Amino acid sequence: MKKSFIQLVTLTTMLIAMVACKQDPTKPGLEYMPDMYRSPAIEAYVDYGEVRGRTDNNKKRLLTALTPPLHTIPFYGKMDSASLAVNLPYQRLANSAMSLSHGLFEGIERSSEINHYDASAADNNPIPSSAAVVAKGKELYTAMCQHCHGEQGDGQGPMVKSGAYNGVPNYKDADRASKSDGQWFYSIYYGKGMMGAHRSLLSKEEIWSVIHYLRTIAPRVEKVEATSPAAPAAPAPKM
Amino acid sequence: MKISSIQQVKIVNRLRLLVLFGFLMFIQMEVFSQGKALFEGRCNSCHQIDKNGTGPMLKGAKKRWADANEKDLIVEWVINNEALRASKKSKRAIEIYNEYNKSPMTVFSDLTPKQVNEILDYVDAEAAKGAAGSDKTKDKGGVNPVEESKEGESGSGYMWYVLAVLFVVIILSVGGVRRQLQVASSGNEELNKLTYWEEIKQLLWKYRKTTAVSVLVMVLSVVVYGFNMLYSINVMEGYQPSQPIAFPHDKHAGLNGIDCKYCHNSVAKSKSAGLPTVNVCMNCHKQINGKTEQQQAEISKIYAAAGWNPNIKPAGGYTGKTQPIIWNKVHVLPDHVYFNHSQHVAVGGIDCKQCHGDMTKQNQTARVTPVSEINKLHDEDDKIIQLTKPTLTMGWCIECHGKKKVEIGNGKNGYYDQIHSRLMKNKALYKEYLKGDQKITASELGGWECAKCHY
Repeated sequence: MKKSFIQLVTLTTMLIAMVACKQDPTKPGLEYMPDMYRSPAIEAYVDYGEVRGRTDNNKKRLLTALTPPLHTIPFYGKMDSASLAVNLPYQRLANSAMSLSHGLFEGIERSSEINHYDASAADNNPIPSSAAVVAKGKELYTAMCQHCHGEQGDGQGPMVKSGAYNGVPNYKDADRASKSDGQWFYSIYYGKGMMGAHRSLLSKEEIWSVIHYLRTIAPRVEKVEATSPAAPAAPAPKM
Repeated sequence: MKISSIQQVKIVNRLRLLVLFGFLMFIQMEVFSQGKALFEGRCNSCHQIDKNGTGPMLKGAKKRWADANEKDLIVEWVINNEALRASKKSKRAIEIYNEYNKSPMTVFSDLTPKQVNEILDYVDAEAAKGAAGSDKTKDKGGVNPVEESKEGESGSGYMWYVLAVLFVVIILSVGGVRRQLQVASSGNEELNKLTYWEEIKQLLWKYRKTTAVSVLVMVLSVVVYGFNMLYSINVMEGYQPSQPIAFPHDKHAGLNGIDCKYCHNSVAKSKSAGLPTVNVCMNCHKQINGKTEQQQAEISKIYAAAGWNPNIKPAGGYTGKTQPIIWNKVHVLPDHVYFNHSQHVAVGGIDCKQCHGDMTKQNQTARVTPVSEINKLHDEDDKIIQLTKPTLTMGWCIECHGKKKVEIGNGKNGYYDQIHSRLMKNKALYKEYLKGDQKITASELGGWECAKCHY
């Protein structure tokens, strides 16, 4: 009895010690003097207005001053037409139907009669093409587009091959390749069909570089207009 | 075995039938395969087979037109919908046009009526196949095996403490009863005079060797536990938090081959690698809404955040009512350290794998991938530098800065070109830098200076 009593005590102690050493991966480790981890300088993805349940309205207000004023453009001291075109806001608005289909609610065309997609056909690539621009475009294409559109731009990217996604067009189709650079820009900037807007991922300069690269794999073709007897109906907005 | 002439004829006839049937099947397959190519090339970017998208689903399209008593007009619609709408002979055409917010379908004037029928036949055959297939997959019960084993690991810890207290109480009470019984049976009054504590002391002395050992064990375990706790302060190596929306990296980056930079798109532009905004999720998840119930539940959280309502007729739509996703922060950079992602990725040209390990195989993001696992990646990619110090510690940074070769003077980076031209004027210094490892490392360009990484 007495021996087993001692054994029991030892066992219990060991059990407690073992349990105490187990780590829970969903909880961060113990913090002591956490000021080193909570930077007073502004870092990304830290809600400084709320630290550990305490809301600091003063800090929240200060943060707003750090975002650049609306409708201002950066000035780098050079104002040729290319840098002006990529720094000024994009002159084409999103079509009115794109609120519902693409979630664009700010800066859209209110009237459903005006079609900015068709109008964008007149836009030219403001950036002069060069080997460096095409190389940069290819790099961006590999990171941003290739998983759906495929290395060759044939719509057979790994997403499509794995069966997760379907319906990606081939750039070399007469339908797509006949669109102008400006329309391609519009489609990347605001999205088209199932594709969402990519303006949050790529700057205007980067989109134009990607288009320069795309034209090397899918040169523009003139649309072979087959004999369509009926005159096209009144222009309506496309999605 | 003899075969009569009548039987022979029968067999030959059957064989003929079989050949004919096979031939017919062959022709049919040929037709379907052309329908497939046409569907994928011309229709699929707007039309899904069994889901409304930019355009309506094509499953049952033929039947829907037949139900509207306009069976033949569907062909005209596909070939030139503008003309059909203008001719006003079809009610259904105007209906569809209005249902899809008056966004017209592309005109396919180069398709022949035969081709259109082939496409529609292919779609219906595919839909029938899909219906047969989905019954089979249902039996398997498509549960995501990844998410299951999360519960039950945590939360049961307090049980042990309760058990331990219970043990002590039981031991003490049994001991008390035993003493009472002993006193009653022996009639020894002296024993009764001893207090409980005195008796225990006697006991402990009697078994002093065992006592000494167990006390030693207890003291040691307390010391070890204490040190472990002290060591764990501000070290968060095993941290692998769950996230409000389950995001399997292995599915996105591995199976579907999405580049890291697509979602973490500020990695080459800013200090922070960036978390994707929900519109990036929606670029794919507008179409992909999950196969299993669990996936659907997770993806519906994205929809709630993006303000996407899949029930808006005909194919879902944005409501504009968005809400933020509050992710659990995985990496925390201490205040006194400066680390810039773009400097390492865009200028240094370092692959994500070098520091974060192979994310294409990781389901739930852990803070740290052990350095031994990163070293294994060297077999596949010889750009990976093999290191010895634990990942994301200062020693590890320093080690890599001492090993990483910096490409200077290749005209790609103005800053390094400047350094190169200066070194060309000072050959002695250049030689000193090259001494030992025959390369310019980050450490020689100031990568070991305190102020480079510390405020």
